[in-house]
Amino acid sequence: MLRLTAGRVGSLLTRRATAALSTSSARMASHEVSETVDMSQPLYWDRLDTPLPDRPFKDIVSAADKSLKQKEKGPWSQLTKEEKIALYRLMFCQTYAEMKKPSSEWKTVMGGIFIFLGFTGLVVWWQSIYVYPPRPRTFDPEWQAKQVKRMLDMRVNPVEGFAGKWDYEKGQWK
Amino acid sequence: MAHPSQLGFQDAASPVMEELLHFHDHALMIVFLISTLVLYIIVAMVTTKLTNKNILDSQEIEIIWTILPAIILILIALPSLRILYLMDEVNNPHLTVKAIGHQWYWSYEYTDYEELGFDSYMVPTQDLTPGQFRLLETDNRMVVPVESPVRVLVSAEDVLHSWAVPALGVKMDAVPGRLNQTAFLASRPGVFYGQCSEICGANHSFMPIVVEAVPLKHFEDWSSRMLEDA
Repeated sequence: MLRLTAGRVGSLLTRRATAALSTSSARMASHEVSETVDMSQPLYWDRLDTPLPDRPFKDIVSAADKSLKQKEKGPWSQLTKEEKIALYRLMFCQTYAEMKKPSSEWKTVMGGIFIFLGFTGLVVWWQSIYVYPPRPRTFDPEWQAKQVKRMLDMRVNPVEGFAGKWDYEKGQWK
Repeated sequence: MAHPSQLGFQDAASPVMEELLHFHDHALMIVFLISTLVLYIIVAMVTTKLTNKNILDSQEIEIIWTILPAIILILIALPSLRILYLMDEVNNPHLTVKAIGHQWYWSYEYTDYEELGFDSYMVPTQDLTPGQFRLLETDNRMVVPVESPVRVLVSAEDVLHSWAVPALGVKMDAVPGRLNQTAFLASRPGVFYGQCSEICGANHSFMPIVVEAVPLKHFEDWSSRMLEDA
């Protein structure tokens, strides 16, 4: 229908309006609140802050494992120490002690940092020889001494700063 | 001027700068307190042995850490606004000086009674006498009487400059075609150094400002001498 007559437009718009104004919740019930479905695969992990993973570490396949799991359903006081450890290792990969064990990674990191610092020091040294212009004569010790004398005579920062730390009566630093 | 390896502000040479020093102490203390608290919280978070991550409700602490920063901000704002309005007070200056920025020197005009004007160029390093300060000394200083409110009208002839003297707590941009007014009162005699504070070309770092505050008699002698020499 390539020609939309005024009458057809009118009826289409009216149907739209009634649909918008309609508040029948029964009509919307099937998709008002969506069902939540977790589509992730169960994972195993060893993490200190999330203790219980989605699935056990090992699948129970061998006959020995299956019989051990059966024994686990009974009173645990009848399990030997080795059986308890075996059950733990079936369920988990690492113990808490193994998870918390410190590594030597920090040595590698610190070593890398010091290597870069050392290299930077070499670059700075090279710069000071080949790049910097000659020092201004105002850095000579005699000039600096005269400057200090002049600053004290001028009472530079006399309250808490420079001249404030000079004892004018005794002629020495406080 | 600053002394070697100075960390803080220069000692105040005007009442406004004193106020600014005290306000800075107050604001910096708040900053240190907050930073210490945050650093402590970070260290505590990183080294905790607790593993429960399911905290779902925290109304009380949310209220606290909304209200408390608001209070801290008010505690910073009130002294700040106080100083701001203090700086705007009518101060009936005894003297008006015009400081005009050029590339690359300042010129000063004292036109209240006579027409006194002069340029103030930096003394080049090779022309310094031993003991003078490199990049800070000028051939002519702006001399003002001590303990007198001074009005400074700052402008520029070519590009943007900025007239700044930290010890007096003064900084005002020099805009071509515009007169900016600032005022200060030198509360103690001395020589106060500043540097141009708006990039203005190749020698922006080499057009310092030197204000010399002297007793009134000395100021009168100086201005008579300058008028004769001109």
